[in-house]
Amino acid sequence: MNAVGPISLTVGKGERVLLLGPSGCGKSTLLQSLTGVIPQTIPATISGQITIFGEPVAARQPADWAVAVGQLFQDADQTLCGFRVEDEIAYGMENRCVPAADIAAAVRDAMARVELPPSWRSRRIATLSGGEKQLVALAAVMAQPAPLIVADEPTANLAPAVAARLAAFLLEPRSEGGALIVDHRSGRILQLIDRIVVLDPEGQILAEGNPDDVFHAHGDRMEALGIWTPLASRLVRKLARAGIGLPHCLTIHELCRALDSHGHRAKAARVLECTFQPRALSLATPVVRLCRVDCAPLFGPVVLRDVSLQMNRGEVLGILGANGAGKTTLSQCLAGLVRPARGMRDGPLGAIAFQNPEAHFTQATVLAEVQKAGTAAGKDLAHLADWGLEEQADQHPFTLSYGQKRRLALAILTATDRWPVLVLDEPTSGLDQRGADTIARHIARLAQAGRAIAVVTHDMDFAFTVCDRVVVLAEGGAVSSGPARTVLRDEATITRAGLALPTVSPLLDWLEHKGC
Amino acid sequence: MLGVLHPLPKLIVCLVWIVTAITLFDLRFQLFTIGLAATLLIVLERRSVIFVIGLMVPFTLFGAGFLTTSLLFRQDTDFALKLSAEQIFARPEVSAGLVLFFRAIACGMVSALFALTTDPGQLVRALMIHARLPATVGFALLQALNLVPDLAREAQQIRLARAMMQGRRPRRIPGPVEGASLIVPLLAFAIRRAGRAALAMEARGLKAGAPRSHLNRPQAGWADLLFASCAAGLLAGGICFARIF
Repeated sequence: MNAVGPISLTVGKGERVLLLGPSGCGKSTLLQSLTGVIPQTIPATISGQITIFGEPVAARQPADWAVAVGQLFQDADQTLCGFRVEDEIAYGMENRCVPAADIAAAVRDAMARVELPPSWRSRRIATLSGGEKQLVALAAVMAQPAPLIVADEPTANLAPAVAARLAAFLLEPRSEGGALIVDHRSGRILQLIDRIVVLDPEGQILAEGNPDDVFHAHGDRMEALGIWTPLASRLVRKLARAGIGLPHCLTIHELCRALDSHGHRAKAARVLECTFQPRALSLATPVVRLCRVDCAPLFGPVVLRDVSLQMNRGEVLGILGANGAGKTTLSQCLAGLVRPARGMRDGPLGAIAFQNPEAHFTQATVLAEVQKAGTAAGKDLAHLADWGLEEQADQHPFTLSYGQKRRLALAILTATDRWPVLVLDEPTSGLDQRGADTIARHIARLAQAGRAIAVVTHDMDFAFTVCDRVVVLAEGGAVSSGPARTVLRDEATITRAGLALPTVSPLLDWLEHKGC
Repeated sequence: MLGVLHPLPKLIVCLVWIVTAITLFDLRFQLFTIGLAATLLIVLERRSVIFVIGLMVPFTLFGAGFLTTSLLFRQDTDFALKLSAEQIFARPEVSAGLVLFFRAIACGMVSALFALTTDPGQLVRALMIHARLPATVGFALLQALNLVPDLAREAQQIRLARAMMQGRRPRRIPGPVEGASLIVPLLAFAIRRAGRAALAMEARGLKAGAPRSHLNRPQAGWADLLFASCAAGLLAGGICFARIF
């Protein structure tokens, strides 16, 4: 069975192509075979031919293609090669034996373009946050002006403001080159894309063309396969199912304009209001209280000061903030795994689903993991089925796909009722649309069952979908907290925290002002 | 201040000093070495006295092994101590155990002085440029240095996950059993990470044997010459003092 393909794909000069597909369809494999890493470094069999600028890929070693192809990987944490920031940016040029004076000028220029302060030149890579590392990786790609840019989920772990800046740089027009980007949820870069290629679960091309045509003609099929489509496109299809025909839209602004000029505005507003109706909550029963706490990671300095908040039974609390704002540290304090440096925490011990799900695994099989977690006898397989993991019961946890690992971590934490408090750290990072929807469904179910849930996320649309209340972290503290629908639309607060308004925001404004 | 020096002359000076401290079985030379290293750290590197004393603790514990063995098991260690005391520059009137004790601290302090005043990145770069260390090996070393904080973070997360399953907070410092149980998952993490890093390096053009340029070539200058001369003078002075008096 093929990991990906057979596939015929061309990126033309000056073209910016977005590659979409469900998890596990072979997008990353395809990118790695572009420069010959597969099969020259990672053994595999490839049939057919791959050429870059007319030259067969196999004619050169993978390292020799660095001149023509700039690559940005998903996890900068694990792929930075230098010791200090300037070493990292200079690395590619040093490998090409560029004179030192030219390298110094290129490093200065790249840092200025990505807005990295000059004082960071000698900063050690190990002291940077995840988002900062991704920016340094971008500066490194920009300093080495390869005509073709290939990026694998470059913005997956970034706060929205930084992600937008990074995407704008990656997708700036290149007359002699092009860009091939893989991304699971690409709402903010869609206007910069010339062509979309959609892969189906078997790794073959499902659709190809300009974004408008692809989402219009294949949106239903893509949605059914769990592939991301723009929110506006999804809403147009939903309205069509309710008998309201609108022209196809890619952005929420286009959708608002289409609604304005439509005859059945009130009916459309009713359908949309139902879609965005907040969850009804019963009276708040506090489960965990933080009272004027200072939070610090184990062995680390205080990163958050004077934070007071509570988690209620059956409620989903969103913890939002830019990279390095202290979200993970706060979540550890909320779960009670780390004592506050100052102040008081009141409530039972909770559980955290860590960003890296592998931290939860200690057993040899998926089934053994949930059994060890304390599932009632005879119910372990049913519990795995709840999380869509019954077919993987005998597999080693480390051999699962990223989405499956994430679900297994949550299955372990929800195997018993021992934790009334659950904190999920970046639960949608690296997941496709179906994976994110599955997690959202489970969060709603767990909250319905009375758990107090906190969701740490950069994904503002996901926060808008699942959270009842949010707290926004910035400048070493909590700058705002309140109902999700209010705080997430407070532009001043959201901008101050380096975040972005949810995609749906203009539509909510439309519903408030013009919908009725 | 010593951080601005070229890493290689500094490395050579420190190695020569350590070899001398091992060869010169003399209590006063060991004390002179400890005092000099501590003074350089306090005066030139602006490290606090408490920090320097703290730095000596692990070396003291290591050296204490020699001392207690020589005192408590005098008969069993007699032969080994005699051999040590019969080295070319030995002074037999001082207890061999005591010299061994201070020698461990002296060698440790010289190593610490080098480690605390040298940028590891510059050291590896200098080895690649001047000592023909292959770039593939040099960058693998740098990756290993970057791996240390990542391993610490990963270990922390695994400890939190395990403590959570046991329904308690993690202890600040892991016990020996907990520490041992972290080895396999951390090793697995390091292997996965090394694989990804190797792919990334290749994708960015690193190739065995290919010529490379360097942005920051460590340059030897007058400061290095002055440092080497002073070190040679002090070393010669120390040896003479130990032999004559």
